[in-house]
Amino acid sequence: MGTRKHLLGAVGLVLIFLCLWPLLASDYYVSVFLDLLMWIALTASWIILSGYTGYISLGHAAFYGLGAYLMAMMWTQIPYVFAVILAGMFSAGFAFAIGFPFLRVRGPYFVILTLGLTEITKYIFINLEIKLGGTVGRILMMTPGLHTLYYSILVVTVMATATAYFVKNSRFGTGLFSIKEDEDAASALGINTSFYKWLAFGISASFPGMVGAVLALRRSYIDPYTVFSPIVSFQVIVMAFLGGLEDVEGAIVGAVILTLISEALWARYPYTYMIILGTVVILIVKFMPLGLVPPIKSRLIKAMEKES
Amino acid sequence: MRLIEGFHVSKNFGGLKALQNVDFTVEQGEIVGLIGANGAGKTTLFNVASGSYPPSSGTIRFKGENITGLKPYQICQRGLARTFQIVKPFLSMTVLRNVMIGKLFGKDRLRHREVAEIEAHRILDLVGLSSKAKIPARELTLADRKRLEVARSLATNPDLLLLDEVLAGLNPTETVEAMTLIREIRQGLGVTILMVEHVMKAVVGVCNRIIVLHYGQKIAEGMPQEIAEDKAVIEAYLGEKVEL
Repeated sequence: MGTRKHLLGAVGLVLIFLCLWPLLASDYYVSVFLDLLMWIALTASWIILSGYTGYISLGHAAFYGLGAYLMAMMWTQIPYVFAVILAGMFSAGFAFAIGFPFLRVRGPYFVILTLGLTEITKYIFINLEIKLGGTVGRILMMTPGLHTLYYSILVVTVMATATAYFVKNSRFGTGLFSIKEDEDAASALGINTSFYKWLAFGISASFPGMVGAVLALRRSYIDPYTVFSPIVSFQVIVMAFLGGLEDVEGAIVGAVILTLISEALWARYPYTYMIILGTVVILIVKFMPLGLVPPIKSRLIKAMEKES
Repeated sequence: MRLIEGFHVSKNFGGLKALQNVDFTVEQGEIVGLIGANGAGKTTLFNVASGSYPPSSGTIRFKGENITGLKPYQICQRGLARTFQIVKPFLSMTVLRNVMIGKLFGKDRLRHREVAEIEAHRILDLVGLSSKAKIPARELTLADRKRLEVARSLATNPDLLLLDEVLAGLNPTETVEAMTLIREIRQGLGVTILMVEHVMKAVVGVCNRIIVLHYGQKIAEGMPQEIAEDKAVIEAYLGEKVEL
């Protein structure tokens, strides 16, 4: 009980700090934090499906891009907040619509299928844009200021991390983890595996939709090649594997470390930074296959048990 | 009361007729043995009955309801549980958590973790795994994994339990213990049992009735004594007369 109180306190302090950050820091550091929060939201939402059930999805970029384009279409027509919420709902709806056929395939086939999903949506948007406007990119005018966008992403991130946390500790989460362990056994024990996967897919997809919507305004220029870039999905996966993909702490730690390393290296070693990053990731996957967080966490728990 | 009833059940895999017009019934309170050589269709019959795949033709009724073509989770929630021949424990979860999942999602569909935990402990006591409740399933021996497989399906609170070769790979002592456990499940919990088994001594020792499959067809059915002396069964499966 005591640890839970400490945990709540720590979360509260971090939240207050994040709320005050734009008032304390320069625009550069606010935008670094905006990036940080965005990756946390993407990674935390990704683990809800892929971390908990083991269905590794490369489709996060598809939902991210979809959200960005939805925002581009709705911008100046619909109030900003509604547009973000609609983008999230639409992404989830899209995931629900394609979920049943998609989630029938397992393992590497699912990975390939979701990679294909990102590519297909990208080309659909390329063709759609050429038909509609004659060009491929879109410029968004009169976008909200940095602080508005920062607070929007903060809200989305809190929602994504809270959802990932509560799903894990719920009956639903127990079902998802059973699917990861053995889907046939899970089904034989009374778990409606198809429905559980489908629901997790939809929930997981809603957050990249919202993040994409906000980030479209941040970038103020979007085109299908950048918003549907599979790099978004890859980066999310690397972050999850880095921190640990079975709980939200892992997603947060992975996202924070990778974003900060990228930020630091990018400025200093623009040419070698990808190599350094790759090496770091290989070392971690090789020596800490569960990610950074689980071994540290179990050590902490052991230490606390010793004390009491 | 007739608990499960299969009528003209067939299953084809491409050109292979794994089951051909098999009729079978299990009455409430029985322990029925299902025997036959490898490839006779025993596991296929289990898979069809538990919903892993639908039969090519024929119907299966459970507690009077037609369950043909239902999904495994629906059949489990109606009170028909099965174990897998190649056990499928949730390896990284603790033994206790494995069993709790049966309680949370099976026929009882318990909403509260605390209640599920208490009930799971009772089942672990029954199968003799309570001292290992807290360790991850991956650390169990094969014999214990088989106990866990049984415990987990029992946790779904079934009326009928399908046991797929739970004795295979066990040493003589473990086999005797497992046989005792099977009897306890029937007597103590009132669970009806249909079991696939190759260990003839065990089949004859615990079963009230035996069904024999051969190349997807039912070739004999009856009391253990009758089966052991049945000419067709001796020719197809036993090879020689078994001393009971």
